[in-house]
Amino acid sequence: MTYNEKKNEHTHLKKAFAGVIKKNKGLLIGLIALIVASVVASLIPPLVLEQAVNRLGAGKGVSLTLALWYFLFIVISDLLESLQNAGITVFGQKITHGIRSALCQKLSRLPAEYFHRNESGKTASIFTNDGDTIDVLYSDGVVSMAADLLKVVGILIVIYTRSLGLGLLVTAVTPLLFWFTRTCQRRSNRANLENRRAIARVNGHVPETLRCIRMIRVFHAQRHMENVYSGYIKESYDAVDRSNVIDSIYSPVILLTQAAVTAAMMIFAAGGNSYRALFGISVGTAVAMMAYVNRIFSPLENIGMEIQNIQSAAAAIDHIDTFLEEPEWQPEITEPKKTDEIRFEHVDFGYQKDRPVLKDLSFDIKKGELVTFAGRTGAGKTTVFRLLTGLYEPDRGTVNLAGLDPCALSQEERRRVIGYVEQNFASVPGTVKDQITLYDSDISNEEIDAALKLAGLKDVIEQLPDGLDTKMSERLFSKGQLQLLSIARAVVLDPQILLLDEVTASLDAKTEAGVIRALKSSARGRTVLTISHRLSEAIGDARIIEIGT
Amino acid sequence: MSDQKTSHSKRIMQKQKVVHPDRIMSYFLANIPVLIIVTISGLIYNIGMLAGPYFEGRLAQTLYDIIGGRSKFSDMVQIAFFYIIAILIVQAGRAVKRFGVRRFANNVSSSMRRNLYNSLVHSDQQKLQKEGLGSLLTKAISDVDACSEGMRKFTTEIFDTGVVMIAYVCMLVHYDFRLAILSCMFTPIAYLAADRLKTVVTRANAEYKKSAAALSGRTMDRIGNALTYRVYGREKNRDEAYERSLSDYEKKSAKANLFESSMAPLYDAIAMLGTVLVIYFGAKNVQGTGWTAWNIAAFTTFLSCFTKLATKVSHAAKLFNSVQKAAVSWKRIKPLMKDSVEDSFDPDKVPVRPQGVEFSDVTCGYDGEKMLKHISFEAKPGQIIGVTGGVASGKSLLGRVLLGEVPYEGAVTIGGKDLGSMTEREKLEAVSYSGHDPELLSTSFFDNISLGSDIDVDRFLQMTCLDEDLKNMHRSADWPVGEGGAMLSGGQQARLSLARALAHARSILVLDDPFASVDKVTETKILKEIRREFPDRTIIIMTHRLYHFPEFDCVLYLHNGHGTFLPHDKMLEKEPGYRALYEEQAKGGDYDDI
Repeated sequence: MTYNEKKNEHTHLKKAFAGVIKKNKGLLIGLIALIVASVVASLIPPLVLEQAVNRLGAGKGVSLTLALWYFLFIVISDLLESLQNAGITVFGQKITHGIRSALCQKLSRLPAEYFHRNESGKTASIFTNDGDTIDVLYSDGVVSMAADLLKVVGILIVIYTRSLGLGLLVTAVTPLLFWFTRTCQRRSNRANLENRRAIARVNGHVPETLRCIRMIRVFHAQRHMENVYSGYIKESYDAVDRSNVIDSIYSPVILLTQAAVTAAMMIFAAGGNSYRALFGISVGTAVAMMAYVNRIFSPLENIGMEIQNIQSAAAAIDHIDTFLEEPEWQPEITEPKKTDEIRFEHVDFGYQKDRPVLKDLSFDIKKGELVTFAGRTGAGKTTVFRLLTGLYEPDRGTVNLAGLDPCALSQEERRRVIGYVEQNFASVPGTVKDQITLYDSDISNEEIDAALKLAGLKDVIEQLPDGLDTKMSERLFSKGQLQLLSIARAVVLDPQILLLDEVTASLDAKTEAGVIRALKSSARGRTVLTISHRLSEAIGDARIIEIGT
Repeated sequence: MSDQKTSHSKRIMQKQKVVHPDRIMSYFLANIPVLIIVTISGLIYNIGMLAGPYFEGRLAQTLYDIIGGRSKFSDMVQIAFFYIIAILIVQAGRAVKRFGVRRFANNVSSSMRRNLYNSLVHSDQQKLQKEGLGSLLTKAISDVDACSEGMRKFTTEIFDTGVVMIAYVCMLVHYDFRLAILSCMFTPIAYLAADRLKTVVTRANAEYKKSAAALSGRTMDRIGNALTYRVYGREKNRDEAYERSLSDYEKKSAKANLFESSMAPLYDAIAMLGTVLVIYFGAKNVQGTGWTAWNIAAFTTFLSCFTKLATKVSHAAKLFNSVQKAAVSWKRIKPLMKDSVEDSFDPDKVPVRPQGVEFSDVTCGYDGEKMLKHISFEAKPGQIIGVTGGVASGKSLLGRVLLGEVPYEGAVTIGGKDLGSMTEREKLEAVSYSGHDPELLSTSFFDNISLGSDIDVDRFLQMTCLDEDLKNMHRSADWPVGEGGAMLSGGQQARLSLARALAHARSILVLDDPFASVDKVTETKILKEIRREFPDRTIIIMTHRLYHFPEFDCVLYLHNGHGTFLPHDKMLEKEPGYRALYEEQAKGGDYDDI
């Protein structure tokens, strides 16, 4: 599929969208009903007013009931409108919820390589920013536009039923005004964009000044810097001015047009018999029509904005769809073997096709062995770990983890088979306990206790204000203690195999000793693989497996 | 082109100078002409707002009279004509007022920004970096918008809410004061009710914001720790937790929105209760059985004025809010607003006279720590002195002594004058400096070198061989170098920084690590150019690259906080450390030779 096709179809996004619609059919129907009701209700008050004025025109009084009706319809129409707005918000939220769920589910299906290739902040922005834009697209874009269009049509219909002439007049003016609205909005957007750019320069100039302050002082360039700053401000000033001109002219022009339409209607209505056929209206109708003319222009302005919202969502739609279309992780699973050894058989692997990292690598590790992988940087020591944890699959050959293919390990099995102590501890939001269990409520307190003992963290945790239930913050622990937490996390479900990355790389000698003590006790009775020579030496007698030549 | 822009912006700067920038009133005073226009057009617009309802009433009345045969067609044409003229004047007033108020805000924001920047750029380096004045000023500058926006809203609302409400009330009272009082009774009740609801709304909003923060935290965690969760088999569990966060967010946002949007109609409903009375009693007035005798025009005018007034009242709260917000920002800005510094001194205009530098028994370092001890050396006009030593031996420190940044004991003289007794201006006239941080601006090559002065930039591009780089990149000197010189290689950055120092060279040139990441051939070429162009200057070069040291007039070798000052040959004999450094590089073992 070429990029262009992808861009135009947005199939994945559509699928997610269709799913939400299906699930919330009731809500959607309710919302449509609400919009229709709200539009109809907003049309009624002027009609009541028409009645009242007509009665007055006929020399009759207005009953309190009629006055109350007028008030009641205003209240109902207000209420329905705010209900409609709330409904649109709820609907937009459901859509974004559905899309975010789809995005989240995609995460588990992505290959590990995606996470190594893409900065997490950028991916997160697809979830947050682009997700919000989709919300705006539906709530303040598509749905609101439908509601506003309906309002315009509704008002036009009422006008036509009362006065054909006024209807024609408004129909003629509406496209012109809409064109005017769009032109103003486009221009003002352009000016706003220029202003944003200028403001970015204005704002960027300040840190730049701080960064270059010595140079500025030495060359006495203060005045020059001020002039440059003034230049940027001037750019922004002019852009703001341009957008202000449009802003100031827009609604006066609209209101003047309203007045002109009203005046024309009244003149025609007062005209001779030939016009009466077209504009034949009573006083009450005239008052009501003035009210309608005043109402038709604000939805027009909104529609312009909504078009804008829909247009500006294009980039977000693209980001989301590209993400949903990322190739998925479908490892080929090899047959389980009857062995309790860790075995690499003729493994080839490369992150890119033409740049192999591992070539024909084979080795056996017996149960309970302590092994160090040695090799220069870039030889593929970490890669071996990634293959062992099932994050990647070999291009050729097989990886065997005590009888299992690491890629085929079920989520439940994983922590009982391998424990992986990463180079840097990755803290997760929640309590200190969550750091160890990773939110697994099946892990018993005894198991946690045993892990803490192994890691030598028991005393530290007991000194925390709420013990294990203390809210996690990296400031609670020293760097070494964070690594101990990482060890506790790895061993809490008593895995057979323990993988140790360069656990102590960033620690000073004293802290390192404590971590090594913990590793030593954790290593007992397990197969332990490390890629740090220092570490394995400290733990015990290690067999060395050379990687790369 | 760029000159034009600069002179233009200078003009604005002069025009918008604000006296007493730390008083909010000053900004109103500085904009009196604009504000007079705003006042006149604002009054026209807001009082004229009554014209709409008035004429619409008259139009309806005239139609009634025509149908009843009491008026002629021409009466209608006449009224319609006046109606349009009135609306035209009113709306023109509105356009002028709107633009004027925005102009005013734009002016205020510009002069506040300029003022803060002026005090930033003229602040003491120490205060900016060490005492956090820099970040304080940066924050203040970001507060400017909130402040000027508040002033704009305040000015707008004075007219659009204040004046217009008075006008409406007067109109209502004029038509029927009893009905006016009766129907307006509900408005304060609506205001109080809205105020009550506010706490509920605020709470719902706070919950919504909390949930939004939680969701974004979850998102970051789910993605950032994705592989940890995968290795530990926790992905399914985390997806479920994310789903819960999504549901919570959805619920809270719907709730907050419902409260927020349900407030306005409720409020309006209460305020609009008055319409029942207006219609009922107003109809009686028309029939002649009420308090005042009305025609249909009076009836519709009164009703439409009342409706507009009822919806206006909610703006009173907005006015209050905007002023409050602006006050918070202003409080942060105010203490930083100082009378702007005017300084037209240009060291480039002062003629250069040859001067030497002498350090005798200088001990120096930051915060009382003595990093260099008993340093003595002399550099005469026309000489190049090489300063070298191991990593962190104090090369850069020595240069900064000449900038007056480092406290020292002993004596430093420039042209025979004691550095300590020299004024800032005299120092600027004597010393040029290029540090090993290139401190480049994001503007063009041209601007980085000229710094706004009238300088033959091409000559210095050529001296530092940057002209060839530009040619190879197919670019001109007007090309921007990117933030901090990001578009340039390390060597290009160093040379641009050097070109700038040469372009503004005074009697003494201190070049700290000028050839970082510059290849040997280019370095040789540049040094030759410098020697030719500046035969009468005193040049001090700090570097760890020694191939050109044999050609230098003398060498200062820094080791263990001490300095040995000797010509290169003698230094080789006397200092084994220097010899080792030199020989290692002579062998070709230079690490950053590219």
